[in-house]
Amino acid sequence: MAIINLTVNGEKKTIEVDPEMPLLWAIRENLGLTGTKFGCGIAQCGSCTVRIDGESVRSCTYPLSAAEGKSIVTIEGLSEDNDHPVQQAWIEEQVPQCGYCQSGQIMNAAIFLEKNPHPTDEEIDQAMSGILCRCGCYTRIKKAVKRASLS
Amino acid sequence: METITRRKFIQLSSITGTFLIVGCVPGKEEATKVVTGLASQLKGINLNQFISIGTDNSILLFNHRPEMGQGTFQSIPMILAEELEVNIEDIDIHQSEANREVYGSQMVVGSRSIQTEYAKLRLMGATARELLKQAAANRWGINIKDCTAENAVISQTNGESFTYGELVEDAGKLDPPESPPLKDPSAFKIIGQPVWRSDIPLKTNGAAKYGIDISVPGMLHASIERSPVFLGKVLSFNEDEVLAVPGVKHVFKTSRQVYGRTREGVAVLAESYWASIKGRNVLKVEWDNQGLEEINSDTIFNKYRQESKKKGDELFGRGDALSILNSSAGVITAEYETPYQAHVPMEPMNAIVHIEEGRAEFWGSTQNPNGIKSFLSRQYEIDEANIKINYTFMGGGFGRRSMTDVAEEAADLSFKSGKPVKVVWSREDDQTQGPFRAASLNVLRAVVKDDEVKAVEHKVVAQEIRNQTGDSMEAGRQLMGGITTAYLFPNFTVRGVLQKHHVPISYWRAVYHSTNPFAHESFMDELAHATGRDPVEFRLNLLEHPRYRRVLEEAARITNWGEKKEGIGRGIAVVERSGAHFAMVVDVEKKDGGVFPKKITTVLDLGICINPDTVRAQTEGSIVMGLGAFYSGLTIENGAVAEQNFHTYQLLRIDQCPEIETHILESIADPDGAGESGLPTVAPALANAVFDLTGKRIRKLPVDLSVFG
Ligand code: FES
Ligand code: FES
Repeated sequence: MAIINLTVNGEKKTIEVDPEMPLLWAIRENLGLTGTKFGCGIAQCGSCTVRIDGESVRSCTYPLSAAEGKSIVTIEGLSEDNDHPVQQAWIEEQVPQCGYCQSGQIMNAAIFLEKNPHPTDEEIDQAMSGILCRCGCYTRIKKAVKRASLS
Repeated sequence: METITRRKFIQLSSITGTFLIVGCVPGKEEATKVVTGLASQLKGINLNQFISIGTDNSILLFNHRPEMGQGTFQSIPMILAEELEVNIEDIDIHQSEANREVYGSQMVVGSRSIQTEYAKLRLMGATARELLKQAAANRWGINIKDCTAENAVISQTNGESFTYGELVEDAGKLDPPESPPLKDPSAFKIIGQPVWRSDIPLKTNGAAKYGIDISVPGMLHASIERSPVFLGKVLSFNEDEVLAVPGVKHVFKTSRQVYGRTREGVAVLAESYWASIKGRNVLKVEWDNQGLEEINSDTIFNKYRQESKKKGDELFGRGDALSILNSSAGVITAEYETPYQAHVPMEPMNAIVHIEEGRAEFWGSTQNPNGIKSFLSRQYEIDEANIKINYTFMGGGFGRRSMTDVAEEAADLSFKSGKPVKVVWSREDDQTQGPFRAASLNVLRAVVKDDEVKAVEHKVVAQEIRNQTGDSMEAGRQLMGGITTAYLFPNFTVRGVLQKHHVPISYWRAVYHSTNPFAHESFMDELAHATGRDPVEFRLNLLEHPRYRRVLEEAARITNWGEKKEGIGRGIAVVERSGAHFAMVVDVEKKDGGVFPKKITTVLDLGICINPDTVRAQTEGSIVMGLGAFYSGLTIENGAVAEQNFHTYQLLRIDQCPEIETHILESIADPDGAGESGLPTVAPALANAVFDLTGKRIRKLPVDLSVFG
């Protein structure tokens, strides 16, 4: 067990956990933020995507020991009132079906657009290709990322 | 609708205040008898309420079908709201309780929810509206015919009006009309509109709760090791070493039933998910695998090929195809293979169950809440009235969550530990344990003379979901799903050769419609070429059924079918699934040494479409799932699934998703099922397009198109 200090969605948190535990489970179980999802556990699906120091990170393979002192943003912290341009675009394009992958999709898209505010279609495909959607919302995700990039 | 911050389970008994309640007599699916009254009068009555209107003008509509992405969360209330004459933005949607006695079947499978519930929902909406109109007419002393209902207000010609809330008390005392007038579909204001789904905002900010997100006080987390070869029996396990792992509380042998077979496992119960995983990493189980390691995909398909020589059982017959086929020279023969597929909903399988003396509770994502309730009642001898089923949003289902097996594991472990237990399957568990979409071999034969098809045989060699164990080897009609017997071949036989072995199978989106049409519609393309006909013309010549013809003709028109485009190959396929008819045109092009779909156009006739945007979304999703199954499949090696996780079982990714265009044809027929539309046609239309471009016929899936250029 180890004491880990994190900043999550702007709040400082201290948790006592197995430092080998992936960040995902600390977020979901220790901090109770269940918007970040478990999909594969091997960095293949992107359901667990969060922002760490500005980067899109798969929290299922990110050991807590590496998270010490880092600033983490989860889907719950992306905006106050669901009004981030990516969230708005997601609603306007009616993207989600089951919705399970969407926290990862939205976080990844938001982080991507911070770095590349006016991407081409190919760049969008490239950037979003790490996030799986079994319901197959891809055509809408493409449109929504485009829409958010224009807003 | 931002007002829904969490899903509530409201029961009649918990409603206080004055509400007009509309429901119908429990269990009466066909002859629906609508029951109405004030909440206070109806207390204690077993009533499946769907509509609740308060004196405060609040309107609650109940959705009794679990939501897994298919959109019934919104489309069921849309049907109620249409007849009720309320604005869809002004209502609240509540998930109903799970209660078979009250709501009848609540299982969400086979794209059936809208089809089976449509008439009943309209009737209830119309009954409520007419009662409110009658209440207003009585107050004004006028004929009900002179009252109109709109936007939750009843008005008369002089401009006077009452809100629904003002009429609730009076309406609740009236007898409901026997057969209230239903709206003419041409007057629909909500049905047919691309209404925004009220669950979507919750699915953009992490607020939507799925089974895997639920915690209950005092619960233990369980991770379960199961035999990779499915039927392995537990011989021994290192309990003491596992118990030494920090956080681990118990190690139990457990089991569940999968289609008549007992599947064993060893469960590690711990204080947290992570501790259960750490315990499981230390766990060593010795299995008696009963020689099943000898089996692999090759041995399975070799056996299927052998078995395909058998005559099999006739599932459909017209004329005398066999004697023509057996006495003719130059029979055209083609074999098509499709692999096992896993459902892999993005939310891994999970369940929480708490078994206590005389009562039980379930929390989780399920397509079959009542199935879980009856299982718990049967297994633990608990009255259904004392079993509470809390069903959440599902992170996908695709048929996998129609089974109750994970709840069975959680129940067993709760019973053994005395605590609420949450079982979460890892992705590896989910992908390798099944049950799977059945692998199949389809063998087609035809006789063509003078450019006419004289006889066709379609033989399906596969396991059948309904008949996986026991001695009966007679093929059932389930095996022929997706084979278009509407093709008017003068001699046509569809036959099945039933297979049985240890690989477990189950319902997977579109079921046999996800495999048979690949063979059937590819073979139609082969026959079109053999008779020198265009594939659309070939099909139209053989089809009298107006809906097949309509979707084919419209697809050809919309895509300018006859027009050749440089560097583009085109394929077409047509299928009926759950009453919906659809034709699909796939355009492919060469790129980077491979062949790739560039555009997929689907034309659908599914009767009245409740929410065209939801139908489009379902079609897009079905196409993506169909494409994934074209490129990737599961293989059995040494009796077990070889592909452990998404790195080897490749689901479709966004950069592989072509442009998708969906056209929904106008119709006033009652609605058909939309949730699987498009999936059955993807494989054949794509394979036919690849043939058009390259001259290479694809008869075995999965296939790597990146080397096809
Ligand atoms: S759960 Fe982390 S990438 Fe799949
Ligand atoms: S919306 Fe269901 S997995 Fe993406």
